[in-house]
Amino acid sequence: MKLYVYYLSGGTSVREAESVSGVAGCAVRLMSVGQLTVAVSEFAGDAVAITRENVLAHERVVRSVLRHTTPLPFRFGTLATEAQLQSYLQSQQELLQSKLQFVSGCVEMSVKIIWPGVDTIEEVPAFRTNHSLDSTKDGAGAAFLKAKRREVLVEQIATAKAAEIASWLKARLAPSIRKDQVTIRTRDKLVLAAAHLVDQSFLDNYRRELRKARDERPDLHFLTSGPWPPYSFVNIDLEFKTQFGVS
Amino acid sequence: MRSTFEEVLVDGEVDSLEGSDLSLLETLDHVLNRGLVIAGEITIAVADIDLVFVGLNVLVSSVETAHEVLREREQQATLPASNASEVSAGSELPEIE
Amino acid sequence: MMLSPENPHSADPEFETAHAEEFVQQLRQITDTLPSRINVDAQSVEQGLAKLVLTLIEFIRRLLEKQAVRRMEGGDLSPEQIEELGLALMKLEAKLQELKAQFGLADEDLNLDLGPIGRLI
Repeated sequence: MKLYVYYLSGGTSVREAESVSGVAGCAVRLMSVGQLTVAVSEFAGDAVAITRENVLAHERVVRSVLRHTTPLPFRFGTLATEAQLQSYLQSQQELLQSKLQFVSGCVEMSVKIIWPGVDTIEEVPAFRTNHSLDSTKDGAGAAFLKAKRREVLVEQIATAKAAEIASWLKARLAPSIRKDQVTIRTRDKLVLAAAHLVDQSFLDNYRRELRKARDERPDLHFLTSGPWPPYSFVNIDLEFKTQFGVS
Repeated sequence: MRSTFEEVLVDGEVDSLEGSDLSLLETLDHVLNRGLVIAGEITIAVADIDLVFVGLNVLVSSVETAHEVLREREQQATLPASNASEVSAGSELPEIE
Repeated sequence: MMLSPENPHSADPEFETAHAEEFVQQLRQITDTLPSRINVDAQSVEQGLAKLVLTLIEFIRRLLEKQAVRRMEGGDLSPEQIEELGLALMKLEAKLQELKAQFGLADEDLNLDLGPIGRLI
């Protein structure tokens, strides 16, 4: 029988999670290993289906303690035997403690920005083809290359725009943020996705500044959500290794 | 090896309320993409890829997708299915402003 | 730091947007590509190698494309050369798609993230 693992916290008497029902409707219990506490539930099976119910259960359990302490969330679908979990916690004790320290007292806020202006890029002067590139007699190869030209230009403009938006956002919110994680996509519309680690005591400030920033930029579309447990900030150092499948 | 597919949850009326889709997708973007990973022998155990796709599709599904999925499952050799659980969308999902 | 009981901030996330439909679309794209990334368990050695090799080839292919576009912009090429170059790049792109399909790799799978070095592609 495996355990489904939800989150990790410091030694704490917070037992909120135990009154929340977990994945597959199973009861949540807390396990202590050294200074660390882990919230788990029994799980029958080898794989966790991504269903609405399971996803919401996972998030509900992790969020249940947020009011009292900032946990380190596990990724959805993390299963382990009790022995594997114990061994992980024991060997990673120091690293996990420092992560807990890093997020202590904070929540994660999320800002996603779409720049609708990408649709109007083709009207930009740079797009007007040189006279010599007029395409009345284009073969397949030339047409292909010209389409690539358009793609390249769009990407350049979008990348520059994304960088501008990212630094603008950072400047607006910097005083309230302990750390940020920003992803930029220029292939399609979602320009920027930012995760902000915000100390609870700065949350009011953050919200206020964010509202001001939104009002300042009617040219952008915003999606803001939060507070979340700090999903985006628990793996920063591990990201590199994970991408290469190195454990 | 096909793992046990717990259950595909489909809203009765398949409400594609943007609000609830959005908060669900935002939640997915957090819990699926990030969080601690126990490395080494332990892998992130997720339903195999086909099921994940099916799961995700139905999760945010439109009526057609849901019907499609159910039709496909009928055609395949199926594992004993548990009853479709009820989804109470209202109270669980955060408010959309 | 403990929140005092008087703290009005609920722990539930709030959402705010005036463009729900747009974001739903974008988020769907993100979540739909996730499965291939979630399998953190070590894939077979062959698969891993294929991924690495194809990523590098893809990188070079895109560089070649950009270089060709630059030359075309610079007025460096005759119409015949443009046509030839375009056809060659077309074939290269098609070949790479074939190889990716053979190994069951999607575009997203090939995107190596080198952390501080930045995305390779």
